[in-house]
Amino acid sequence: MTPLRLTCREVTRLVLEGEERSLSVSERVVLRLHWLACDGCTRFRRQMQTMRGALDRWRQYRDGGDDASSGSA
Amino acid sequence: MTDFARDVEALRPQLMRFARTQLRNDAWAEDAVSDTLLAALERPQSFSGLSQLKTWLVGILKHKVVDQLRRHSREATVLVSEDGEDLDEALFDELGHWRESPPDWGDPVSSLGQRQFFEVLEACVEQLPPVQGRVFMMREWLELETDEICKELSITATNLWVLLHRARLRLRECLQTRWFTARRPA
Repeated sequence: MTPLRLTCREVTRLVLEGEERSLSVSERVVLRLHWLACDGCTRFRRQMQTMRGALDRWRQYRDGGDDASSGSA
Repeated sequence: MTDFARDVEALRPQLMRFARTQLRNDAWAEDAVSDTLLAALERPQSFSGLSQLKTWLVGILKHKVVDQLRRHSREATVLVSEDGEDLDEALFDELGHWRESPPDWGDPVSSLGQRQFFEVLEACVEQLPPVQGRVFMMREWLELETDEICKELSITATNLWVLLHRARLRLRECLQTRWFTARRPA
């Protein structure tokens, strides 16, 4: 079982793991508890959400080819 | 040369860049792109523009780069020293607290659609150490599941997770420096 109190370092690891797998309910509870009390980790989480969105748009931009002749050789 | 052949040729530099970013090896990238062009020229199709043609070619290229990664999996997973570097020590103190609290990136929705941003992002990805870069691109560009990546490269799940963890922290650091801090008025 995931302990209820994690350090910021452990929380960060879990948030990053969330990019590779779906987190369990108890893991998500632990994260929410931590975020309630920690502004740094809350901002880190938002940064990761921003990166997630940016990477999805980047993939579309690269593959979509709305400007197909612009590659730098 | 037919129009089709000319259009395919015109897209070659972009395909090379994509292949290089994923494979991080010029010879493998050449092979992946050649395989792609060959496959395309064997079944010419008509498209209403370069953009559609590109989408089709990129689709083929994604399969060809996986072939290369599989073929060269042993070399592709040899860590250079930078691949082994962990940013965690720099970010957290011995109690696991942030040494420096992460700043607010604001709400950069519109700026993220800019071509300039994508160029910075691309440059940051290209700066990842080679093995980190390969697995990161397999995840984010090829959109492979982690177990597929482990299978193609014959690495353990633990190794892969560590590499992706490092890659994402590095990318964050690079974006922080080259986009979010650089754009903020002093």
